[in-house]
Amino acid sequence: MTISSSTEIVPKHRILRGIDGTRATFKKTLFVCALLFAALVLIILVMSLLGSEKLPAQASLCALLTFGKSSCGLTGDQDAILFDIRLPRILLGAAVGGSLAVAGASYQSLLRNPLAEPYLLGISNGAAVGTMIALVFMGAHEWSRPLMAFSGALIATLVVYRLAQGRTGATPERLILAGVIVTTFLSSAIVFVTTLMDATRIRSFTFWLLGDLSGSTAKLLWLALFIAISGTLVLAAHARSLNLLMLGERDAFDLGVEVSRVRLIVFIVASLLVGSSVASSGSVGYVGLVVPHLVRLSLGSDNRITVPAAAICGAIFVVVADTIARTIIAPRELPVGAITALIGAPLFVYLLRRR
Amino acid sequence: MLKQHFSQFQTFAGTRRVLALVLSLGLLLTACSKLNNKKTDSQISAHQTTDEAGRTITVPDTVTRFISLAPSLTEIVYAIGAGDGLVGRTSYCTYPAEAQKVEAVGDTLKPSIERIIALRPQIVFVSTASQLEAFTNELEVHHIAVYVTDSHDLEGVFHSIERIADVLGKRPQADELLKQLRGRVSAVAEKVGSRPPVRVFYQVSDEPLYTIGREAFITDLIKRAGGVSVTADIPGAWPKYSAESALAAKPDAIILPTGGSMGDANSNVASALKRSPAVANGRVYKINDDHLSRPGPRAVDGLEDLARALHPEAFNQ
Amino acid sequence: MTCHRFFLGGLRPGLKFNYSNGGRDRSRPAKAVTGHRTPKVMLEARDISVKYGSRLAVSEVSLMLAPHEVTTIIGPNGAGKSTMLRTLNYGIAPASGEIILDSQPLGSYSRRAIAKRIAVVAQEADLRFPVAVFEFVLGGRYAWSSTSGWGWETAHDVEVAREVLRETQLEELGDRLMTELSGGERQRAVLARALATEAGTLLLDEPTANLDLAHQAAILALVRNRCDSRGTAALVVTHDINLAAEFSNHVLLMKDGKTVAFGTPDEVLTPDLLKEVFAVRVLVDAHPISGVPRITPVHEVLR
Repeated sequence: MTISSSTEIVPKHRILRGIDGTRATFKKTLFVCALLFAALVLIILVMSLLGSEKLPAQASLCALLTFGKSSCGLTGDQDAILFDIRLPRILLGAAVGGSLAVAGASYQSLLRNPLAEPYLLGISNGAAVGTMIALVFMGAHEWSRPLMAFSGALIATLVVYRLAQGRTGATPERLILAGVIVTTFLSSAIVFVTTLMDATRIRSFTFWLLGDLSGSTAKLLWLALFIAISGTLVLAAHARSLNLLMLGERDAFDLGVEVSRVRLIVFIVASLLVGSSVASSGSVGYVGLVVPHLVRLSLGSDNRITVPAAAICGAIFVVVADTIARTIIAPRELPVGAITALIGAPLFVYLLRRR
Repeated sequence: MLKQHFSQFQTFAGTRRVLALVLSLGLLLTACSKLNNKKTDSQISAHQTTDEAGRTITVPDTVTRFISLAPSLTEIVYAIGAGDGLVGRTSYCTYPAEAQKVEAVGDTLKPSIERIIALRPQIVFVSTASQLEAFTNELEVHHIAVYVTDSHDLEGVFHSIERIADVLGKRPQADELLKQLRGRVSAVAEKVGSRPPVRVFYQVSDEPLYTIGREAFITDLIKRAGGVSVTADIPGAWPKYSAESALAAKPDAIILPTGGSMGDANSNVASALKRSPAVANGRVYKINDDHLSRPGPRAVDGLEDLARALHPEAFNQ
Repeated sequence: MTCHRFFLGGLRPGLKFNYSNGGRDRSRPAKAVTGHRTPKVMLEARDISVKYGSRLAVSEVSLMLAPHEVTTIIGPNGAGKSTMLRTLNYGIAPASGEIILDSQPLGSYSRRAIAKRIAVVAQEADLRFPVAVFEFVLGGRYAWSSTSGWGWETAHDVEVAREVLRETQLEELGDRLMTELSGGERQRAVLARALATEAGTLLLDEPTANLDLAHQAAILALVRNRCDSRGTAALVVTHDINLAAEFSNHVLLMKDGKTVAFGTPDEVLTPDLLKEVFAVRVLVDAHPISGVPRITPVHEVLR
């Protein structure tokens, strides 16, 4: 029996086509992740040399590579600038970028919508409202911020998901609509909460709402790093289920995926990721949208590669954006969310047109 | 057939006639209203003046009803004895105590236009520090004059006091006030003039870290109080400051504006400054933020607070 | 012979319990059916009822799927055919009744265990993300991956996928994106994925719905082939009665969620039963070449 084949169209979108065909394998994933991780470390080192205060490059590198054990000729103040202010901020940027990118990639796979993103879906806003409630009403307790941020993110996720459920399930269009509804509602909630604050705090809150990596404590940094790494690992472990879910919940179910369990885990872990990012640095937009897209364009849609790769690339993206934010009008600073939006929005338009 | 054509022509002409009637009525009405307006305008004698933003505005010769949309301007009004004419204020205008009896029209950022119009003021005083230019156009449509103040240093504040007093017809009282204020300012200058200026970091908020820049009038206050702001060269009025630069600046004294309208916010030094000489030597001073953030008569109180903090030896006699 | 069938209107004595008849498709193994059941039953559904809210979509329907056999469900829209099919792998939970898979209740199996034994072929998949055909088919091996680790495919998985692509004649298209395939090729890929699960039971929900003639026959031939060679049991929901007659061993006729008739195509596809279910007058004769019932609707056209 002969059926005519379709016309010859070679997909140009796979960078690693040559290696073991187009399929994602363990070896390929390891190779890609190692390469990207090396790039991340390099970028962190380079960005540590940049800032509003000039530090001697060689001495700084030497100090960084010895993990601060030897001062390598840096003065006490320079050492403090490098290790107490700059490096923690860069690491926080990496944690936030990685968290948001992985959350975005997971939402996109689970909700089968390439436009799903924590920011656009109103989940970042939910976390922001949670954080603000914590700051205004529970300011004394340090852990209230990440906790309320996580709750806010989770509630927003569930509301968006519920709103988007039609008879045919959550189609991408309904999802975006639900996301817009939730985002606008929560934005007004944020405005409402800001009116409860006095005028002097409003300026700093507006800055924070646009993403601000400068005001974070050591505890929040460790929490953010821990959540970023463990969240990525958990979601990567479910990557194969996500691959199948990407092609339809019913199909995935028929093929053996425990759909409700995976969905619950992804929602919870992604909300944790978004919550911890927003609690420490406000809403940094476009990372969860643009980074997974770029990763998929180059490496394919297999989540077993794209989830870890998105984590590392998201970290790189925010670290670079934050470096721009803190050096471009030094000694003044811009909110990092403004830079990610400036880079991300045109990039997103370009990606849309490519499809 | 001719009849058909004729009747059509008639209705067509009829429509035209109605249209012409409506148009002329409309024109007549607008002309009348314009005439009426002219009448009300000419009933009140007014003059033209320029406000501090360079705008030419029409101000009545006698002002009996006015509104202030900034706490600093409310303080100025009461300091020159014009409090009786104040018919509206913002919810933040809490000083002096008499001001709290006046009706509030909202906050400084977004006051209620309807409230303002309903109070029928003749003029509204606005401070650029509150970023109100956006709605001044709306008020002008209702023939409510808007006077914008704009002071970047202490002399600018004194100038504002004079101009506002001119508009409200309280020049003699203002002159008396300014004589006192200028006297206090010279006294401070005498005490601290000969001493080396102290390097000061003015912390507007700790997290995120905000400070003052070139355009803030507090920079001038610090200078007059015998100090120099380490951020005096930064463009803008309230820049968000890099923690690294704050650490590298190593100020000898840190000013924390707090305790007034801000409550206990900003009562801690930002972590980047914990290693500074100011903290090491215990030279962290909390000053009532209302004395420092309002470009009005209490700014001189703030000047004295600053001078006492920066040069305590000069005031111990 | 032809006149005889035509005048009797379908009830052909002598064909009731006997499959083999002159002119029938010889590729089908001559297996006696009703009244003589093969000992191993793959999947059995007893008195299944499914509710959508308060409405009874399926009402006490029983079904038995045996190896080497293709069973078809026929009925008008809303008869509950797809619902019945979906219940068989617990895609929809039945309100009452039980399902026995390999002599054990379906509920005792884990999700993966069910997926290894029952595969579903639905209509075209949701293809919003670019995926290559080979990757798509490999998805069928999910149930066989270990629950720990990231679920990387083994060499055996790759081998099975390649074999299945060969079987469905898609081996040259392995590297193409699913979206670049024609409708027929896509449906074959979906079938390939189901075959890759190596499941003993195949459930196909209107697999020929959007396909042209050539592809329709191709798909069902593949299914028939699989059943014959590997002993798979297949359940097909379809609107195409003639196709059902051609390829199935048994037909379940449903209307309003209930069983109207169950038996061989000859027994079930009679004008009376079809008129009762579809409210359309039909003529039933034998296909000139294969000898299976051929159903021709009689349309009352108002002029």
